[in-house]
Amino acid sequence: MTEKRLRIALAGNANVGKSVIFNQLTGLHQHIGNWPGKTVEKAEGTLHFRGYTIDVIDLPGIYSLSTFSLEELISREYIAAEKPDLVINVVDASALERNLFFTLQLIELEAPLIMALNQIDMAEKKGIKIDHKKLEEVLGIPVVPTIAVRGKGIYELLNKAIETIEKGVPRANVIKYGVEIEERIEKLIEELKGAQLKYPVRWVAIKLLEGDEQVEREIRKISPRALKLAEKLASEIERIHGHPCPTVITSERYEAAGRIAREVQRILPGIKPLISERIHDLTTHKILGYPIMVLVVLGALQAIFTFGGFTSEILGTLLYSYEPLFESILGLGPLKVIVWGGLMEGLIANITIALPYLIPFYLILYILEDSGYLARAAFLMDTIMHKIGLHGKAFIPIMLGYGCNVPACLGCRIMETERERLLTGFVVTLIPCAARTAVILGLVGSFLGIQWALALYIINLAIVFILGRIAFKMLPGEPTALIMEMPDYKIPHAKTVLKQTWFRLWEFLKISFPLIIASSTIIKLIEMLGFLDSISKALSPITVWWLGLPEITGVILIFGVLRKELTLIMLASLLGTTDFQSILTPLQMFIFALVVMLYIPCVATIAACVREFGWRRALVIALVEILFAILAGGIIYRLMAAFNMLSG
Amino acid sequence: MVEVPLTDLREGETGIITSIKAGFGHGKRWGLLKRLVDMGLTPGTKVTMVKSAPLNGPVEIYVRGYRLALGRGMAKRITVEVQR
Repeated sequence: MTEKRLRIALAGNANVGKSVIFNQLTGLHQHIGNWPGKTVEKAEGTLHFRGYTIDVIDLPGIYSLSTFSLEELISREYIAAEKPDLVINVVDASALERNLFFTLQLIELEAPLIMALNQIDMAEKKGIKIDHKKLEEVLGIPVVPTIAVRGKGIYELLNKAIETIEKGVPRANVIKYGVEIEERIEKLIEELKGAQLKYPVRWVAIKLLEGDEQVEREIRKISPRALKLAEKLASEIERIHGHPCPTVITSERYEAAGRIAREVQRILPGIKPLISERIHDLTTHKILGYPIMVLVVLGALQAIFTFGGFTSEILGTLLYSYEPLFESILGLGPLKVIVWGGLMEGLIANITIALPYLIPFYLILYILEDSGYLARAAFLMDTIMHKIGLHGKAFIPIMLGYGCNVPACLGCRIMETERERLLTGFVVTLIPCAARTAVILGLVGSFLGIQWALALYIINLAIVFILGRIAFKMLPGEPTALIMEMPDYKIPHAKTVLKQTWFRLWEFLKISFPLIIASSTIIKLIEMLGFLDSISKALSPITVWWLGLPEITGVILIFGVLRKELTLIMLASLLGTTDFQSILTPLQMFIFALVVMLYIPCVATIAACVREFGWRRALVIALVEILFAILAGGIIYRLMAAFNMLSG
Repeated sequence: MVEVPLTDLREGETGIITSIKAGFGHGKRWGLLKRLVDMGLTPGTKVTMVKSAPLNGPVEIYVRGYRLALGRGMAKRITVEVQR
């Protein structure tokens, strides 16, 4: 062997500091992508250590290796089929029992295992002291205590990892279930003997008794008899215990985890309540929790918009100052119009939006997430989210949507099932993002008064609820429920927050940069070829007759697909004035803003939808929203006209 | 000892799970219930009610050394035994 290459996977529950360890190990040598064909994030990184080139894979944070979510399936598939040289199980020392439940499953899957016993400082603050030597003995795997956020134990962990691989990974101690279960596992193993399995045979036997759908599907092809036998044995266990067999097995596994936890940890009494506990109580308080949440969200938005507006203007002025330079090189002819008006203005749009707004946006988001606040917000919002068939966690992408729909679409991944993701994605694209807010405030807010702008937001909320509910009824599938760990509050790890911000920003730029530049160039071309008027004419039945808007808005609405705030800028330039009052009636302003708010997600959002949900679904979302916006715009126009609203 | 739905526990009260109601027999789809047991809510487990959100909101329970938020609909299906 000339090249000494190793593959190490990090596995563990969510909120155990896994990504901090990943960052400590790999630094900036990271690549964040997707698992092949799946919308689950795959984080890989490389490091060099003691002559080895080590690829580190950060598996998703999960609580079990069953088939509840895509993340769980991917993780066990990876461990069993890709066979990494080592799996580092990152464990939260302050919630040992639940974490060990996962460790025991990794052992059953016969993963080559060592453990990083992380957050031992937090455990100690809670009065939990763990004897890691004893834990090592009981589990039969190396255990390294770490405090990842402070970089403690990382070197030792890496050293131990290499040492373990070099010496040969020890066989971990497998837990034994009750005798009535063990007997039946034996029978199944006997039946499966000789079958070509990609997983360890004992694990397959246990999973069959647990009724694991995916394993059942695979065994059906290989040995239908084993499947039959498993069903019979499972119902026998069910009769003995009075609970479904899967519950019995999970119970016993948890009992084993609890037993081990009690054996190795000492709980010191008389610890005074931590500040983090008090913050937790306050932020989930029945009454106070809500105003606190409103303050947090408004404060975050205020910070983002203040910083963004200020920086965006400076950047914009700076970049536009280059226009004469382009003119002097390219002249004033069509070439300049295309290069400057299409290419460069697209670029400027990206820079003036992406950097000033998105950087603080992501920073604040990850601070809120890392600290644990988002879980509290999800808890508070669960009731409302249930009204549209979602649960509390969906509040997080929806809140993101008010900033920008693109990260919000990508953020739908926190939902557990495919259906919940799609549903949340649909709702999210209806949320007025910062760009749409600019139109609403710039047109309706400043000319008609803030109460009418507010009315638009209320209409929007009503529409979100109605359409969300309809989509929820139409999409078949299981009902959803909030089942969410609320991790202890902690101070966010700066480096991890920065890195997450950087990767998200990069992800956004990759999606939006090429699209916005390409489409703004194309639209510039169309304009130069003189098609604008004919497009506006062609659309006039919709814009003029149905929506009661001036004909010119047809082409503006098309441009708006690029970036929603462009509609306002174009309105000014095509109408030749920013005093919209003189050209548009109040009702027209209102309807125009309403349609802009609803009619289609911008190209970048559509691209994000395509990535997350595929072409077909993204197209359906876009079409539904166009049709709906036109429908709603026309109806509201007629209603308001009939009641003489905004007629003065 | 009385048996009540988990949602009936008062704040600070501890009960022991006796059963989780739902028709999840062998081989059927049972995603959410499997999730519950995977999070440690197995029969015989001690759970403490920490907080119950208003307006039919979720509950916060303390189980196996950690805090878990649970939608009310789900929590209602869990029966606990409590000393009263």
